[in-house]
Amino acid sequence: MLLTLGRLPRLTDPHKTIVVTGVGVVSPYGIGLDGLQAAMLSGKSCLKPTKDVYPGFEGSIAQVPGSVLHAEDFSSRYSRTDQLAVLAAQDAIANSGCDCSVFRDSGVLMANTVGGLTEIDTGIAQDPAAWFRRPGGLLRGSSFPVAHVADAVGEHFGIRGPRCAISVACASGAMAIALAANMLLDGAAPIILAGGSDPLCPFTLSGFNSLRALDPSPCRPFDQNRNGVNLGEGAAVLILETLAGAIARNSNVLAVLRGWAMTNDAFHTTAPHKEGSGLADCIQLSMEMAEVSGDDIGYVNAHGTGTPLNDSAEANAYETAFHGRHQPIPVSSTKSYFGHCLGAAGALEAAITIMAVRSGTLLPTLRLTDPIESPGIDWLRREVKRQPLPLAMSASSGFGGSNTVLIFGSGRP
Amino acid sequence: MISNMTPNFSPVTITGIGSVSPYGPVAGLIPQCALEPSAITAWISTGLRRAFIVQPFRPASVVPGLKTRRLDRLSAWALVASSLAIKDAGIDLSQIDRSRVAVVFATAFGCIELTEAFYLSAAANGWNGTDPSTFPETLASAPASHVSLFHGLRGPNVTVSNKHFGGENALMQAASLLRHGQADLAIVLAGDALTQSLYSWYEVADLLSPACYNSDPLPEAGGFIPSGGFIPGEGVAALVMESSVRENVRSGTRSYARILSGRWAAGGQPVEIIRQMFGGSIPSITICAGNGAPCATSSTTALAREVLGEDAVIMPAQPFAQGLTGTGALFHLILALSSQLKSGPALLLGTAGDNGFAALELELL
Repeated sequence: MLLTLGRLPRLTDPHKTIVVTGVGVVSPYGIGLDGLQAAMLSGKSCLKPTKDVYPGFEGSIAQVPGSVLHAEDFSSRYSRTDQLAVLAAQDAIANSGCDCSVFRDSGVLMANTVGGLTEIDTGIAQDPAAWFRRPGGLLRGSSFPVAHVADAVGEHFGIRGPRCAISVACASGAMAIALAANMLLDGAAPIILAGGSDPLCPFTLSGFNSLRALDPSPCRPFDQNRNGVNLGEGAAVLILETLAGAIARNSNVLAVLRGWAMTNDAFHTTAPHKEGSGLADCIQLSMEMAEVSGDDIGYVNAHGTGTPLNDSAEANAYETAFHGRHQPIPVSSTKSYFGHCLGAAGALEAAITIMAVRSGTLLPTLRLTDPIESPGIDWLRREVKRQPLPLAMSASSGFGGSNTVLIFGSGRP
Repeated sequence: MISNMTPNFSPVTITGIGSVSPYGPVAGLIPQCALEPSAITAWISTGLRRAFIVQPFRPASVVPGLKTRRLDRLSAWALVASSLAIKDAGIDLSQIDRSRVAVVFATAFGCIELTEAFYLSAAANGWNGTDPSTFPETLASAPASHVSLFHGLRGPNVTVSNKHFGGENALMQAASLLRHGQADLAIVLAGDALTQSLYSWYEVADLLSPACYNSDPLPEAGGFIPSGGFIPGEGVAALVMESSVRENVRSGTRSYARILSGRWAAGGQPVEIIRQMFGGSIPSITICAGNGAPCATSSTTALAREVLGEDAVIMPAQPFAQGLTGTGALFHLILALSSQLKSGPALLLGTAGDNGFAALELELL
């Protein structure tokens, strides 16, 4: 079977073509991509006052509904990060239409930044030994390493292939997908569950608050009056395999991962390169891998955090990378709907990008009234745009200068 | 079995080594000498507690111009170790395309020292009174970011974490980046720092060796610490890895070892998979990369015997590298190379419970 995507090059080698055969999400809208899509298409924002959940903090956050997480469904060793990841993996497996046993020999590659920090309070700093001796202290402490989330997903579903966690700040979720694609091409596993999971917690809220990076109001990515980020939480997992494997399993191909690339700005520990050069390079590399030009990309789901530095650097990156395109590149930030989910953001946005190519719906950035002046960018705002979308891109960046870009095609024969 | 797939793996070559460990900051192989754990004085005021600790040193005295004042020790060590590895490889970074250089870092616990400091500041000042300069340095990916920033490396920058096989995983991810043309050269790092909370967790969980509580010298040879448990350690190892194509281009390059293939899994049938990986030419040397758990040490040896046969040469896991739990593989490899093993094929092998394993097919040069 060959896939033909409009006028784009045919995908001729099914062993070297990576496809998505399952998507699972847990977001502030609940579990599942359908619910997420319906809510986002209606323009519903999940951002709520932070002080309602974390007294003492200003601004807005987006929390996964309490009705979604039932402690009794999980091992007591699972942190909130683990629980979100397990739920997203469960949703992805259900979405693939397969039984868990299909995934026994699969790999698990999960990203996060928070690990088990949700389970740890400030008491640990004053007397760690006493803290660990408290009831449940050892178990809570054992969930601290970021690797724990990959083990939780693997153990919960009896998956015994290669397991690994990655943590690359806010590019983590997208990078997990890119590295999983590499691993599939290496033959490291027949199928890989890849994605990201990160919960809200006082540690990260405090960190972003200390950096004065939190917008006290609902965030306004790419607006000239943007004032910072809002944090959210969630998880997303993609089921990835080669097209050859998907054909052999008779899997339903939801999308094709046409290109991926990773770069680093090597510029600053927290600030992006002002010209967005690292991200622009990353976009170019991903398009080279996909063998497409800027004109072929129909939509970019941007990193778009709402911070002054990120959004201007990112706009510069798009101007550079899509220079020469015949029409301005359509761009939006879906962080305006449910905040920045940190290590999960790239995976959630990959899921939203897949949703866009499958449905031909381009979501606008909410609250974008006065966009950054960028003649090469078509800032999507106010209304949903509907158009055929053969290819779309998801861009992620993070502290420490890491960038990851993923290009998805619809995968329809 | 895990799968019938034959792993695709282009050979990559290790051309530079650097490390920061209880042996000190070292470029290249680590001189052979007995290493005893040190008494912990930073947070233990009564009774004896020992660990393999990196003695304090000034990073700028090793790498001129290096500023590490606000960094976690793990970040500082990563900067020093990477600089020493690049120097050992004889690479002049100003002469190469640094957008083609990747950084892959493995850590189990990340920047735990500054994470504790952040908790302390929250305990003292409330969550609204934490230090802004500390937060970004608590990220697990901070050490790798600093390596890219300091050396101007603009290729992929990846931080991986795996409970048992972080080091092996970093080697395989780096090899994958090289194989797929996403980088020409990779700096691979693995390591962790020891802190009061981490040591306390080990102690409360009853994982420590009796050797942590007395000053008896460790067994001289063989490396196995009696009576179970392990001695925690800290440090960062760095390797320069190049695709064999690129390595051939550079004249006068010293090569330590070639990585030919690798597999890792959380379960399954490791004997069958490892034999499949070698394709019938089983090596005679195994370098055990066991972590601290006594069961992991014995299971690694047993698996090595099962795969390679009773006559195989088995390099036991080294106590210091065992103490790094999930990130000791690079030190296991460096210490094995430092012991003047004869050149030829070898297996770097780590195991974990329930048939979990990581295996790298090597050619020692």
